[in-house]
Amino acid sequence: MSDYMGLPSSIAGFRIIPVAYNSTTSHILYARKHVGSKRKNSTSLPEGRTLFLVNVPPDATEREMVLLFKNCGTVERVVFDWEVSEPDQDSTTSDEEEEEEAQPEQQQPRKRRKLDKGKKEKPPAVVPLPHRALRVLRKTGHSAHVVFLDESSLERALAPAEKPRPWPTSSEEPRGLAHYLALYDSLRPPLDVVRDHADTWMEMFDYEQAKKKQKSEYRKGEAIVDEDGFTLVTRGGAYGQTLGGGVGVASKRFQETGQVSKRKRKKKDPKEKEDFYAFQRREKKRNELLELQRKWEADKAKVEELKASKRFKPY
Amino acid sequence: MSSSFKLQIDALLPNVRPKSSRIPPLDRFLFALHSVLTSLSSREAQHPLEAAHKLQDKSISVPYPDPRPTKETNWKVGFEKPYDVNVVGSWANKCSVKGQDGTKFRVDLAVEMPAALFQEKDYLNGRFFHKKAYYLACLADAVVDKQSGLNATVEYRSVSGDPRLTTLLVRSPQGSVSDKSETDFTPLNAEIQIIPTLPNPPPFPLHRLSPTQCNLRLSSESQTPTPLYNTALLLSCTPKAHLLAVHKLKADVPAFADALTLLRVWANQRGYGEGSRLCVRGFEGRGAWWTGVLELLVRGEEGAGGKGGAAVGKRKPVGKGLSSYQMFRAALDFLAKHDFEDEAVVVKTNGGHRYPADEYKSSHDAVFVDSVSLVNLLAGVPLSSLDMLKHDAQLTLDILGNSAAVNDAFNETFLKDQRSVPSRFDAFISVDIASAKLDNISSITVADQGLRVTAILNSLASVLRRGLGNRAKAVAILHPTSTPRSVSESHPSSPHTVCIGIIYNTEHAFRLVEHGPAVDDPDTSFAAFWGDKAELRRFKDGSITQSVVWDVQNSDERARIPVRIVEYLLDRHFSVSTKAVKTWQARFDSILRLPESISSMIQQQGATGGFKNALAAFDGLLRALKSSEELPLSILNVHPVSEYLRYTSVFSPLPVPPELSSVLPKCARYVPVFEVILEFEKSGRWPDDLRAIQKIKLAFFERIAAALMNHGGFRRAVVVLGDGVCTSEIQDQARLEIVTDQGWVFSARIWHDREAILLDRIINDKSHISKAVRKTAEGQSKDRQLALEAREVYLRRFIHAPKHHRAIANMSHRFSAYAGTARLVKRWLSSHWLLHGHISEEVVEIICASVFLGGRQYGDGPSVPGSKERGFARVVEFLKDWKIEEGLFVPLYAAGAGEQASPEEGANHIGVLDKTGAWSVRTEEDPEGRMWTSHGPDSVVALRVKALAKATWNLLQSMESRRLDVKTLFLHPTDDYDFLVKLDASVLPRYHQNISADPKTWSRGSGYANLQPRDEEPSRPGRDPAQLLFDDLQRVYQDSFKVFYDCYGGNTFGAVWDPSVKKRRPFRVMGGFSSIPVKKEEKSKEKGTVTLNESAILSEITRIGAGLVNDVVVQSS
Repeated sequence: MSDYMGLPSSIAGFRIIPVAYNSTTSHILYARKHVGSKRKNSTSLPEGRTLFLVNVPPDATEREMVLLFKNCGTVERVVFDWEVSEPDQDSTTSDEEEEEEAQPEQQQPRKRRKLDKGKKEKPPAVVPLPHRALRVLRKTGHSAHVVFLDESSLERALAPAEKPRPWPTSSEEPRGLAHYLALYDSLRPPLDVVRDHADTWMEMFDYEQAKKKQKSEYRKGEAIVDEDGFTLVTRGGAYGQTLGGGVGVASKRFQETGQVSKRKRKKKDPKEKEDFYAFQRREKKRNELLELQRKWEADKAKVEELKASKRFKPY
Repeated sequence: MSSSFKLQIDALLPNVRPKSSRIPPLDRFLFALHSVLTSLSSREAQHPLEAAHKLQDKSISVPYPDPRPTKETNWKVGFEKPYDVNVVGSWANKCSVKGQDGTKFRVDLAVEMPAALFQEKDYLNGRFFHKKAYYLACLADAVVDKQSGLNATVEYRSVSGDPRLTTLLVRSPQGSVSDKSETDFTPLNAEIQIIPTLPNPPPFPLHRLSPTQCNLRLSSESQTPTPLYNTALLLSCTPKAHLLAVHKLKADVPAFADALTLLRVWANQRGYGEGSRLCVRGFEGRGAWWTGVLELLVRGEEGAGGKGGAAVGKRKPVGKGLSSYQMFRAALDFLAKHDFEDEAVVVKTNGGHRYPADEYKSSHDAVFVDSVSLVNLLAGVPLSSLDMLKHDAQLTLDILGNSAAVNDAFNETFLKDQRSVPSRFDAFISVDIASAKLDNISSITVADQGLRVTAILNSLASVLRRGLGNRAKAVAILHPTSTPRSVSESHPSSPHTVCIGIIYNTEHAFRLVEHGPAVDDPDTSFAAFWGDKAELRRFKDGSITQSVVWDVQNSDERARIPVRIVEYLLDRHFSVSTKAVKTWQARFDSILRLPESISSMIQQQGATGGFKNALAAFDGLLRALKSSEELPLSILNVHPVSEYLRYTSVFSPLPVPPELSSVLPKCARYVPVFEVILEFEKSGRWPDDLRAIQKIKLAFFERIAAALMNHGGFRRAVVVLGDGVCTSEIQDQARLEIVTDQGWVFSARIWHDREAILLDRIINDKSHISKAVRKTAEGQSKDRQLALEAREVYLRRFIHAPKHHRAIANMSHRFSAYAGTARLVKRWLSSHWLLHGHISEEVVEIICASVFLGGRQYGDGPSVPGSKERGFARVVEFLKDWKIEEGLFVPLYAAGAGEQASPEEGANHIGVLDKTGAWSVRTEEDPEGRMWTSHGPDSVVALRVKALAKATWNLLQSMESRRLDVKTLFLHPTDDYDFLVKLDASVLPRYHQNISADPKTWSRGSGYANLQPRDEEPSRPGRDPAQLLFDDLQRVYQDSFKVFYDCYGGNTFGAVWDPSVKKRRPFRVMGGFSSIPVKKEEKSKEKGTVTLNESAILSEITRIGAGLVNDVVVQSS
């Protein structure tokens, strides 16, 4: 307990929130109001009622975070860092998430939206793989955003605490040995579920592919012009020409390495013969001799160096 | 030879020669000694015992050899001042070479005894040696006499422990460093050896001393020749003649002295000389033999030297103008090629030889007569020692001839001490011969050898050589060379333990049957030699022969056959019980075996393990998969990629049928999983999308699972979605877990080659922009990062792993000791908490292969270890000396596939993202050498490996002194860790594999097994919570501490804090470690510093590992 008594109450603009692991050990959370920097996240992390936390315990779950801030107010949700931008990466593509996914896409050109609409007409459902709540271990010292239901809770959360709050231990998600056991079993779902999942997923995929093909603006032999009016020059036409013809395109080799092909280089070989003039031969011989001498000197230097390191005492 | 080699030789030579500035005191001392010796007064002849008694008062005993004079002796010993005193030997010719282990330069002083002291018949029954011994004692008396004015100490030295060859050593008194007298030659590190010699011509008829004469008349009728006795006598005549011969040689051949020095340094480094460590028997005090070898090269061989005299001038002399290195190589060439057993060597001389070569041949094992022509320089050298010499010479020639492949040929040849036993011999046996008996050797042979021990050792060498036959390339008898003794001791002490080193010929070493003569052959020597073991056997071809059969239960025992033969022969011929014989092989074997109680429990259920059965099970799977017609695409190939399927897993695979797993104790339920890779036929129907490919794989797995269950022979097939940590959707994740009826478990993945192209497409997005421009412009997008990771996994898993597997499986077939070596090294690294977590199994296999492929790339070179113990020692030696920054190149693939594999092949050069690894182990397929080392060891761990290797190496050396306890090599000291995480052993499924597993952990409950409710936990193959916890800790706290643990059943994690996070540092949001602000009162002017919150982290570990972690112990440093 005495551990945390002498601690400063804030550091670099962060409020220090000690959390007691047990009677003698406390963990430190650093908290601050969330200040949105990117426009994108403004909807998911509303300013004013979002708490930004640093140094969240690596094994913290959403439930545990909710419990920790229970006395400050109701927590709407907890977002662990780096996961803000990728809710769509989750394998269980539920309908809810699809909607979310659609939101940022609205800024995209119109045609896209049509596709989204088309999707909603007849979305083939994907049978999800069985999901079991499992603890996710994140890197130590990571951060999280806690979104409260109302703004007053945020103030309460940032008020200096008189004594460290105990770390809530939720038994919903197993830990340790039980966790690994559950993990083992959850990674091995029944075969029929796997089959259904794979089949429906592919159905969905085919459906999307088909949609995309329909809506695709690409036609063979047509140049791609972007919204600024620039023509994208790519290979694809015959004889190193662009699509639609006209402009020449660099070879693949040039694209990869920035070098022109070797064959051309060879053609430029000097036509002069090497050992033609007497002075050439002399020069060559002299250079060889010099080279030999240089090597000898280098060897000598190397041995001297070794000698200095007393290496030549066999025993 | 490169010029640097020449320079290195020039740098080496002065270091092994006496420093000329320190010689003058010795010269002054020699003058003083000379004047003392030549002015001695004579002593009247008296009875030997009486004479000895008088000297005894001055605490000098006379070194009379056996049989000693008795009261009945009717001749007398006397002393007269020497006729002549000469410096002879290498010192006089200025070609002395420093010896091993601080041996002093030896200045030989020939003191010629006057002929008047001897009678014509003195060559009989050791009378000459008795007179010589008395003469020596008188000289000793004279030198230590205060009146002589010589400040010196004296000691007796018996060359090779032979009392007949006793000499007197004169040294500057030890400890009198302050005594700066003119004659103090201590700084020179030399000693003077006084050798009493005979005048020329000797006072005995020389024809009486030919090798075929009998000069020991123990019983009147016996006429057994006494060649060694005769040689010992003749050695008193040779010093001066040798001096002259060598002097002439030196004048004729300019490079002679340098070549001799090189040869002797080479020989000393390999134990053919003197030293306090183990030396090869028979080469003590044989300076003349080494000069003889060079003399042979220059002078050539006597024309009619060979057997039957048919081959005329067999060995042509080499040019006299050769350089020292060329002569050295020619000498090695002679040593490597010459067949000492069958061919006698007689150096050409002008005057002809005194005794015909056949006389030598009939009485000596090996014959080498130099131009002085009196003695056989190889008298008393066992043939087995010459085999060893031959082997070493061949080895060095290989290194010198292949200097491109060997990094530092000079170092290997001259600078490195090669006497270290564990890396030199395939089998090493230490025998206590105190109780040895000599039953079937006549007393005259023993008398001829001079000492019982000598007789035992020589007979031991020949028995073993015969018994092992072509199983061994060389059998070396090793013991430290004899040490000088005080002049008050008349007889040398003989060694009690001798060591036997065997180098296997792996083709034959593990043969089960020893064939003897046919049943109707009257020759009974075979039966006599093998005793009870010899039996009549009828073989498949109908022949009935005498034979010896060694029956074995498993491959471990088979590998032990040569050692068993040695043990048997020691018992049969020398009555040495097995208790007196110490070997280490069985202990090494047990390191690689599961505890008896567990393996018997599994075997009771009828499960039979072993690599062969595992491979058979794999073949079964392969057949089932290939024959299946229910699959949408047919299977082209199944690639095994598991160490269990290439013989290199630490434990031999053992199937655990599912019903057995609930019977087994909880700490022994681990079931190994063998990884295989499925390759389907090409098809255009795969989707062109990475995520879809992964889903299609799931569908495939489901189909395969169904097909296998229909096929029969398989218990279970489950799709495993991933590892639960990686969330990447484009990376290959899913696999199929297949359990066969016998309990083998396979884990199959699908290899689809289009993945690589699709990943490349993401990585090389915007390929229309030149790479050079892209490099600077672009930041790595998240997709690209994921794709890079996925591609690294793809390359490692599907491209490199199968190739690696094939190459390693090939190695295991080619080199019988390879698999065992890899297993031992893996066990060693794991028991020191490094394997898997820090060092991948694959890189260990490659490093082990380097020891086998090392010097010689093709064929079964002499440097290839023939036993896993030697392989292990070689790997440890390599790791100890490896200069990490130079990396390592192993021609792993060329070894199997012939030469066409070009190193410039790989299209997959850029595969690895993480460059933290410190090791670079290159192969043809992996020119960067990071494929298997990218995730470690990092530089800290690499240094640790080096330190561990050094400690292990030093421990291994204690084999020499019989003290090695194999298990200590595998016990890990835990003092260096900052904190230890102790796990609950009883819940770890792999705990039974722990090197020091406590049987109580699993036997505790078993007594009441039938009373306990049987817990019906289903079998979970491959489940290893400790490994998962370890991985999690390593991942979560990668910037806070490094964690170590034994992946084979370790029940403790050790961790070391990263020193940088323990410092105070300013607070940062992305600190990457659990911090606590520094308290106010001690706050310095910079505000807001934080430091590591150790106690919180430790309690987090306890929480994360709930149920597994018993305790976290902080160790104060």
